[in-house]
Amino acid sequence: MKNMLYKLLSATMLILVLVGCKKDYLDTSPTDSVALETVFQTTDGGYVALNGLYRLQFTSYVDHGNFGQKSLDLTFDLMGNDMVVNLQGYGWFNTEYQYSAIQTNTAGSRSGLTWSYLYMVVNNANQIIANIDNASGAPDDRDNIKGQALATRAYAYYDLINAFQQTYKGNESKPGVPLYTEPTSEGKPRGTVQDVYTQIVADLDEAITLLTGKTRITKSHINANTAHGLRARVALTMEDWPKAATEAAAAYQGTTLMNGEEYNAADAFSSIGNSEWIWGFEVNTEQATIYASFFSHMDVATGGYASLGTQKKITKALYDQINDDDARKSGFRAPGTGTSAYPDYNQNKLRVPSPGSWAADYILMRAGEMYLIEAEALARQGGQDAAARTALETVIQARYPDYSAGSLTGAPLIDEILLQRRIELWGEGFGVLDIKRLKQPLNRPTGAGNHGAPNFNPRIYTLPVEDPQFLFRIPQPELSNNASMTDADQNP
Amino acid sequence: MRKLLLGLMAFLLFTGQLLAQKTITGKVTDDKGNPVPNASVVVKGTSTGTTTKADGSYTLTVPSNASTLVVSSIGVRDQELSIGSGSVLNFTMVSTAQDLGEVVVTVPYGTIKKTSFTGAETTVGSKQLESQNVTSVTRALDGLVPGIIATNGGGAPGTGASIRIRGIGSVNASSEPLYVLDGAVYNGSIAALSMDDIATVTVLKDAAATSLYGARAGNGVIMLTSKKGVKGRTNVTANVRQGYMSRSIPEYDRVGIKDYYELMWEGNRNALLYAPGATISMAAANQAATNTIATSLVYNPFDVADDQIIDPATGKLNPNANILYQDDWQDVLIRSGAPRRDVGISISTGTDKSDFLMSLGNVDEEGITKFSGYNRYTARLNMNTQATNWLKTGLSFDGAVARQLNVPSGGTATTNPFYYTRMMGPIYPVWQRDAEGAFVLDPTTGERVLDYGIPSQMGTRPYAGNSNLLGTLELDKRNNKIANANAATYIEIKLPAGFGFRTAFNATFYDAYQTTYQNSQFGDADNVSGRSTKATNRQLTTTFNQVLSWTKDFGANNLRVLAGHESYEFTQNVANATRTGFPFPGTDELAPAAVAEGSTSYENKHRIESYFGQANYALNDRYLASASFRRDGTSRFYKDVRWGNFYSVGAGWRISQESFMQNINWLNELKIRASYGENGNESLEGFYKWQALYDLGWNNGNAPGAVQGSLANEPLLWEKNKVTNIGADFALFNNRLQGTIEWFNRASGDLLFPFPLAPSTGFSEISRNIGSLTNKGIEVQLGYNLISKADFDWRIDVNLTHFENRLTKLPQETMPQAGNNKYRLGGSVFEYSIKEFAGVDASNGDALYYQDILGTDGKPTGERKLTNNLTQASFYYHGDAIPDLTGGVTNTFRYKNFTLSALVTFSVGGKFLDGNYLSLMHPGSYGTAWSTDILNRWQKPGDVTNIPRLQNALTTQNGTSTRYLFDGSYLNIKNINLSYNLPRSVASKIGMSNGRIFTSVDNAVLFTTRKGMDPQRSFDGSSDWSYPPYRTITVGIQVNLQ
Repeated sequence: MKNMLYKLLSATMLILVLVGCKKDYLDTSPTDSVALETVFQTTDGGYVALNGLYRLQFTSYVDHGNFGQKSLDLTFDLMGNDMVVNLQGYGWFNTEYQYSAIQTNTAGSRSGLTWSYLYMVVNNANQIIANIDNASGAPDDRDNIKGQALATRAYAYYDLINAFQQTYKGNESKPGVPLYTEPTSEGKPRGTVQDVYTQIVADLDEAITLLTGKTRITKSHINANTAHGLRARVALTMEDWPKAATEAAAAYQGTTLMNGEEYNAADAFSSIGNSEWIWGFEVNTEQATIYASFFSHMDVATGGYASLGTQKKITKALYDQINDDDARKSGFRAPGTGTSAYPDYNQNKLRVPSPGSWAADYILMRAGEMYLIEAEALARQGGQDAAARTALETVIQARYPDYSAGSLTGAPLIDEILLQRRIELWGEGFGVLDIKRLKQPLNRPTGAGNHGAPNFNPRIYTLPVEDPQFLFRIPQPELSNNASMTDADQNP
Repeated sequence: MRKLLLGLMAFLLFTGQLLAQKTITGKVTDDKGNPVPNASVVVKGTSTGTTTKADGSYTLTVPSNASTLVVSSIGVRDQELSIGSGSVLNFTMVSTAQDLGEVVVTVPYGTIKKTSFTGAETTVGSKQLESQNVTSVTRALDGLVPGIIATNGGGAPGTGASIRIRGIGSVNASSEPLYVLDGAVYNGSIAALSMDDIATVTVLKDAAATSLYGARAGNGVIMLTSKKGVKGRTNVTANVRQGYMSRSIPEYDRVGIKDYYELMWEGNRNALLYAPGATISMAAANQAATNTIATSLVYNPFDVADDQIIDPATGKLNPNANILYQDDWQDVLIRSGAPRRDVGISISTGTDKSDFLMSLGNVDEEGITKFSGYNRYTARLNMNTQATNWLKTGLSFDGAVARQLNVPSGGTATTNPFYYTRMMGPIYPVWQRDAEGAFVLDPTTGERVLDYGIPSQMGTRPYAGNSNLLGTLELDKRNNKIANANAATYIEIKLPAGFGFRTAFNATFYDAYQTTYQNSQFGDADNVSGRSTKATNRQLTTTFNQVLSWTKDFGANNLRVLAGHESYEFTQNVANATRTGFPFPGTDELAPAAVAEGSTSYENKHRIESYFGQANYALNDRYLASASFRRDGTSRFYKDVRWGNFYSVGAGWRISQESFMQNINWLNELKIRASYGENGNESLEGFYKWQALYDLGWNNGNAPGAVQGSLANEPLLWEKNKVTNIGADFALFNNRLQGTIEWFNRASGDLLFPFPLAPSTGFSEISRNIGSLTNKGIEVQLGYNLISKADFDWRIDVNLTHFENRLTKLPQETMPQAGNNKYRLGGSVFEYSIKEFAGVDASNGDALYYQDILGTDGKPTGERKLTNNLTQASFYYHGDAIPDLTGGVTNTFRYKNFTLSALVTFSVGGKFLDGNYLSLMHPGSYGTAWSTDILNRWQKPGDVTNIPRLQNALTTQNGTSTRYLFDGSYLNIKNINLSYNLPRSVASKIGMSNGRIFTSVDNAVLFTTRKGMDPQRSFDGSSDWSYPPYRTITVGIQVNLQ
């Protein structure tokens, strides 16, 4: 009996020891990620990737100074002439204002993070472009997804080439930025500025074709108008004036310009529902990045960094050029009325819809800019000054009904358009881009209300036209690890 | 109490039995024939007893029914003799100095006699652990175990220290040892285990000791074994310990208000004077600085007007200026003498067939920072029974519930009270003041109003405006509710012919429920009416194994073989949610909050399946051989590569057992042993690193979104260790000197390195198994009973460790600079590559650094020049953080019933980069505090000093460099413990079998090369701003009842 028991037990144990676990015991997979192939099986999955691509551009990463596209836009403005930093505060964006952040070539510098961020956008767009054609679903959806990915790629390359090189015109054969049109682990060479613009134009033209006639589910998606608007920006930079004028006009179709009252509403520049907006990112409470957000650095009412020293102010020089009857002047704190939290000349244009909530959308493109592109492009063509004045007056009179461009023509007209552009687009990310495009020197006005003490020290007040100090540095890891590049590819 | 009553009754009975008694005399001697005085001689089971005289003699009158006498004394084993009919009973006591042959070592899947073991290990027993009053056992090991290095673990309540065994085994994966609790790999909280429940901690170091844990053994193994009931002894032990904690590392010396204002003025003035292209005169700059300094610093704590504070002619404080207010932020946020109470009771018993232990405990400590603390209740039940002569089974269960009150102590966030109070300029008050410097009182409560550094109060404080940690930390909540439980059961079956079978199932449950609440009134979340995050992290680990063993003795041969299978599963569930918009203060629960800010949840799974076997062979108990093998499959890797084989072989020779050694009387034991083997380190970050994944949750508004998260990495594999060990164990002079000497070479290969990719491809790196490193070293452990007299013992235990860490294979000969390291072949993992400070230019006060002169090829020519721009300075190697020698010395003295022990740990060599000090040496950042060393700054041409010129907003001259690299050597009096053991005779009279009262100091004194520095903060020699370690002064009492 006892032997029987032992035999039984031994047999049971042997089975236990030898059998082990089920075959798939060691196959585990995450619950918060999926395989790449799963994503692109259908166009529904394609939309998931597309939405991720947009989210990538307004989420925060690394630190409180990095929140995607708007941190780059803010950098471009801080490098310009018209935005003054009040005090050191917590230090965010101080060195962007002083240019040292972009002249550092480490991976974690503004240069390095701009590079890796924009190429992350490019890579995710490339994944979509490479895989969406094989996804099952309606052809219209495939076109819509692909068109948006192409336009996004162009948008990223436009920022890359503008940050890491001087403007297009006259620099066509200078080194560009590595160009990728499909996912790969192989690094590409810098190529030329012309190569990059050729690709941007091709992408946008294809995007316009694919997106025309499609409807978007949200204004944070790129539609045909947006693609036209991006194409207008690119044409303006390339000094292709007729194209810039027609594309800008195509972009503002169907929009309504804000009047003075609407312009000064709290949500004018933070609510995607605004009829003047062509494109923006919709940032709800959950997806807001709080302290690491654009409005944390801009709006003193959020309790963010702007209220803790780094208030952003318009220069007195530019402020004084805004007509007192111009509603846009209310976008800035009138001199003599300021407090230490909300000082003179402090911007009040870009603010959250309701303080107490971080839900505030990001503006990326609106009709006002398109009218100004149209006006400038017409004025520069020669012989179209009247049409140019009309375009200019259309947008400015919306804010300032008594405005008139008079009978300005030629260079004075262009100057007037550019002045109105600086006023109209203050804080929206065009600062240094326009300086580079227009081949102007950096010329930061000084004296009371302008750059320098008692405001935060800008370190650099002037730079000659196309000075190398305007250029972001290619991060060293790229030069070291891209087989197609060497240290000699660094910007001067 | 019951015992006390029994004792009393026994005493009464004793008086009633005066008529029936007899007298016994005798002498108590030790094993060398020396008399043992003050030994207790008691009639077993009663309180009748006496103590021996100086000559060891005693006379005792006993009742006639008394059958046995028990003699006990310090340092010897208790001894019992039957009374019988005679009237003389002499006792020869046996010293408790341990005979190596009796020591049993806990090893994977069993135990082994130390003399039969071919591997390298160190066991720390409960005696050594109990003298230290710490909450986590990880804090107790430093200084007791050769071959390890440990951090001090900081001071956050309810946390532990980090340990590294035999060097640093990895660069980018974990170097943390594997913890095993009662035979199962342990993922639970170690801080949740009661120190009173731990019987032994066995640190397994070489391949022969660890390889049976295969892919997880690479960084060594720490086996924790809980206490169990002992056969034939019923014991009730109660411990009550009351401690007081205060910070053990002093704060850096920082300048006061007057100096601060003058220095800031100077920095302000110099900013004008030394601005590029400045043409301003000295006088004008002085005046401008005087005019603007108060505006820049915002606060004026003096009773003179803003532009009258500093005399522009001298740069000195206006002699008429008086300080109106001065608050010390550290005084209000960091306390000394924070109480710590640790109480516990355990009841154990054992019979021939069964044993039983249960214990309960509570630790309640208030942190040395306000609003921090830890409160833990523990319970344990261990039961084993030999149910039939072939079946043994047992169950153990332990559980802890703990509540941890945290303060955010990491990093440079202004919510970190350590960073905040250190870096806050001295002129900024805790409480708001009016123009006269008087406290501003709240009109409704009459209480002093806290100053938040905001415009509506005293102005925007340039350092950490809109914050007051005294206010916000009180209102904020950062607490962690932890539940930790282990359940283990096994069945052991004895089979015929020496076979045995054991199957065990272990489960560890860990749950942390964390609340992070930022209050609605002040600080970071006041504009959103408060923000609360609730996060739970639930982990369940199960291990199920089946082991077949076979033991066979044939002649002089002894063979022990085992084979087994094990499956391991780790499941982690994480969920969290954040809401803002609280209707009123006083709640941190999410239900009342209006706005959902974010929520997520996910699950992780990690599984390992293993087959293993081991054989131990001994011939004549003299020639030893061992071999082990394990085959592990892990879910972390791609299916084609996830199975790996690990093994070890070992041999030992007990020379002292040889017949030719038998005449050497002074040598009690000598064994030499060697082992070699391979094991792995599969614990890299992330559970799914081989897969190409799109990360979900990148939603855009209400539409779900995903972005590419990782590239496919199918070849990815565990890191591998090849470990060689040669050691000798010895015992000399009647076991009075015992020791172990070991040499080891731990070669770690297939190390993970981020293989850099061109960032423009969308990914900047991918992990590859491409590196190697070695840790070679020696370790020595010696214990010597220097004096062993009846009244006085003195024992010294010393352990020493030296190891060298060398990178032997890298993706490239020299890796890119990353942080403060630039790995190179032949260098260590913690070798500093930082910029080199070249002193201060006496002509203008510039900080100077060395910079390589580059040749036409862009490579350094070897020549160097000086630069005043830190960003242009070159990186050079400047030694490493790994000490040359670490160790611990324990001195234990006993005089009669008093025992005094002192543990001193030390570290020699190894450098430390003091980032805290760096932050306090800025060139003039408004609002930020300064070290008093700044007083020696350069002031005028010709000044020779090592402290550069002050200059506000100068960003290019201060930063990480050799200026802040110091010798990290230290000596820490880690523990002093003085205890008094109640004499048995006294103890038994009050119904106790044993009693002990003690007082101890943990982290008594730390000697470092610089004040304020905490060199044991990290392994890599970097500082941080987290919770400083504390000193604990404890008094306690232990009562044993039988």
